[in-house]
Amino acid sequence: MTFLIRQISHTADGREIVRQSTLPKPHLSIGRAAENDIHLQDLSVVPDHARIEQIDARRITVRSTGTLGFDVDGRTVTRVDIDTVEGAELRFGGHRITVSHGEADGIVLSVQRVDALSDALEEKDEARVFSLTGLLPGRRGMAWALVLSILIGFLAVPIFSYATRPAQDTRNIYAVRGERQAQMKQASLTKQDDVTGDAAWSPGPLSQTHHALEGKCESCHVKAFVSVQDSACQTCHNPAQVHEHAPAARIAMARAAPGMGGRILSSFASAFGKPGDGACVDCHTEHEGAGPMQQTAQQFCTDCHGSMNERLKDTKLGNAGDFGTSHPQFQPAVMTVAPSLGLKLPRFDRVSLDAKPVENNGLKFPHDIHLSRAGGVARMARTLKGQKPYGDALACADCHRPTADGVRFLPVDMETDCQSCHSLGFESIGGTVRTLRHGEPAQVIADLRAFYRSTGPARPIALGSTARRLPGDYAAAKVGASYLRAAAARPGNAEAAIRAVFSRGGACYDCHVIAPPGAGGKANWQITPVHQPMRYMANGWFDHAAHKIESCESCHAAPKSSKASDLLLPGISSCRDCHGGEQAKADVPSGCALCHSYHVGDGAPWVPANAIRDKTVAKVIALSGARVTGSADETLGETKRNR
Amino acid sequence: MATRAAPTRRIKGDVRHEGFLKHAGFRWLKIATVLCLVVIASYLMIDITPRHNGGSWYGYTLGTIGVLLILWLTALGLRKRAMTTGRWSLKAWTSAHVYLGLSLIIIGTLHTGFQLGWNVHTLAWALMMLVILSGMFGVGVYAGIPAAMSDNRDEMTQVQMLDALRAIDRQLHDAAQPLPHDQASAVQASLDQDPFSGGLLRRLTGNYPNCGTARAQATLRQWTGAKPDTGDDPLERIDALLERKQATLARLRKHLRLKAMLEIWLYVHVPATFALLAALTAHIVSVFFYW
Repeated sequence: MTFLIRQISHTADGREIVRQSTLPKPHLSIGRAAENDIHLQDLSVVPDHARIEQIDARRITVRSTGTLGFDVDGRTVTRVDIDTVEGAELRFGGHRITVSHGEADGIVLSVQRVDALSDALEEKDEARVFSLTGLLPGRRGMAWALVLSILIGFLAVPIFSYATRPAQDTRNIYAVRGERQAQMKQASLTKQDDVTGDAAWSPGPLSQTHHALEGKCESCHVKAFVSVQDSACQTCHNPAQVHEHAPAARIAMARAAPGMGGRILSSFASAFGKPGDGACVDCHTEHEGAGPMQQTAQQFCTDCHGSMNERLKDTKLGNAGDFGTSHPQFQPAVMTVAPSLGLKLPRFDRVSLDAKPVENNGLKFPHDIHLSRAGGVARMARTLKGQKPYGDALACADCHRPTADGVRFLPVDMETDCQSCHSLGFESIGGTVRTLRHGEPAQVIADLRAFYRSTGPARPIALGSTARRLPGDYAAAKVGASYLRAAAARPGNAEAAIRAVFSRGGACYDCHVIAPPGAGGKANWQITPVHQPMRYMANGWFDHAAHKIESCESCHAAPKSSKASDLLLPGISSCRDCHGGEQAKADVPSGCALCHSYHVGDGAPWVPANAIRDKTVAKVIALSGARVTGSADETLGETKRNR
Repeated sequence: MATRAAPTRRIKGDVRHEGFLKHAGFRWLKIATVLCLVVIASYLMIDITPRHNGGSWYGYTLGTIGVLLILWLTALGLRKRAMTTGRWSLKAWTSAHVYLGLSLIIIGTLHTGFQLGWNVHTLAWALMMLVILSGMFGVGVYAGIPAAMSDNRDEMTQVQMLDALRAIDRQLHDAAQPLPHDQASAVQASLDQDPFSGGLLRRLTGNYPNCGTARAQATLRQWTGAKPDTGDDPLERIDALLERKQATLARLRKHLRLKAMLEIWLYVHVPATFALLAALTAHIVSVFFYW
């Protein structure tokens, strides 16, 4: 009954040292205490840890003395029987005891320390443990992962999706226009066959007007690596409605030659397939934010108009570089020749306001008398105060009524605006006043004749009616005879009345220029037609509603005007009290586009809301209900806003 | 008589160490400052309508300058593997890398025209800013940490620090042999502790709340605390050893923390640089794809 103990240890260079001892005992003690047969210097081992007892020549029993167990072939137990011929491996803390059967029925226990004394004593790779390696993913790996995910997500996916779109892409600009417009509308409702992943390419939201095209990049960016062409815009915007304000050749001639930098830029632009000067996108920039579209810069106009006379020798337009400093005086279209014999239509000429043009509009109307706070007109106004909305004197608004949109004023209407004072009544029947018909001289003449024909002269009180006349009553006979004479002659009196109406002192003559019968080959009295233009400046836009904060007199010198032929349009200096150029420090900095439209039309020029920086003005515009901002519900093809 | 500090004995040409920040009398700082001022001035003076953006001729110019700078800055990774001296020394190159890299904040941001959004273009800008900011952090730690690290090391090498710890562990192991099991296992817990354990957060903060050695000492002091120090109690010796081990661990951990600070920014700087190159590629291609 012997145990052969083999203590195995290693030198620093890894050589194995084996010390053997033989213990001729039937049982051995194992523990950390020095008096044990097998002394394990191991803090994980209890001082008296276990006993090994020999049962027979082959078998032993190992059991713990305390509650702490040990491992046998990987399992933790407190007692185990071992056939030493089969062998086993025991584990006490950091030590391993291999049980085997030796020669001569000896049982061999090989004791070996397998774990390092402490974690620090284990082998450490200096480069690794002292660095962040292992705590973080490798730099190279992270770099590759990021590079691949960005290239795939932001480049490969959109390009692949673009390249593999359905072949018959209905949103191709080369498609038939009408068909395409229908499809565009449909496309704004559906989101199919879009290019996937290109939303990340958009540098910013589209303007309100184009909001429906958000995410449908290929609607405008039709071909890869080709910049947006005019044809893309024209699939929706009808070129017949959106046209240049002058022939293309003239515009090209008028455009100032670019400087050195400009030439370099345009050569770059043409080399990279950018559309040339005057392309839609030159002026209408997109992806600038989700508000109204950006206003067109003044520079875009002044490139041509700032010094146009140098290039277009035959132009009648003055140079215009900036409203505040370089803009010609207004040139309203003034009627210079009224229609007359041989001239069916009047002739209009554009005359600078500096030339103090007059316009004979056919009326006799002194503004000063009507606006005076004293005198007959004011007195009349006070008299009529109860019936009409008049003040102590007449005001402009008493006669001038704005159009429904407030932009300009309706022509003055005799019946509505003048007649409360200037009555045409000539007979009262049962309280109803019969009036001469305004605007129809022939009817006036006919009415007067009918009046004298149908009515008798004033009936003398002495004229008896049914009483029998006594013979010899000469007085009565005289009355009767003179009455009958007057009655017979009465229709002839109409001619005198007609003459009186159309002549000095007559109702018509007061206001109208009248040609007597015979003049101009006409047999009757003729009234010169009255010309009341609603718009004098066809190429510029002026909105009265936007100027409600101003009084009429601050621009129109009506209270000082004694003749109807005075043209009461204010000149540019009056506008410049508030308006300056685009970059001016004026109350209302105004670019060209505030009044002028590049794509000529008779509507208001397109002005985004943020173009008007003066808060008061913007507020007034809002109050007046005028539409200044763009709206997405505009019908396709409509480019002008008619206020 | 009060003595004045002796003038530094430096002979002409005998240049002491000069870091990449001060290289050649801040030459690249001056160049980068001039570059930034020129860019800012031109940004303010050149009137781009309706407003500045990357798509104007000025925007393209800034973008081209920016992308060339980025490519050149990235080339430091290649350049640093070939050390040379002289005018185009690696130090000069690094100095230029730092200051021109900082000027990219101005160039890149003005290139955007401050039009930022959730898109690939802003991604490129954000990655560029991330790279620059991590680089600034890197310059900061390179300026301050080596001195702190040298103070902390006290002329020990990393291996010596580990060896000191191992020596204490061996002594602890020996000293704990006579202890009963519960006390011995407390010491064993300290021995089982991995001095390099803990995640990134522990490394960067140097804060190890569950330190095994500290807990072992606290446990042992429950037994020793009430007893007088007789001088022959093994627990007293172990307590002293644990004290030393804590001090050694503290030094090691501070070293690890400083070293982590020196390294961590590169884990942002380098991958973000490559991500930036990818985003820049996507940015440029997409801009001209949908022109």
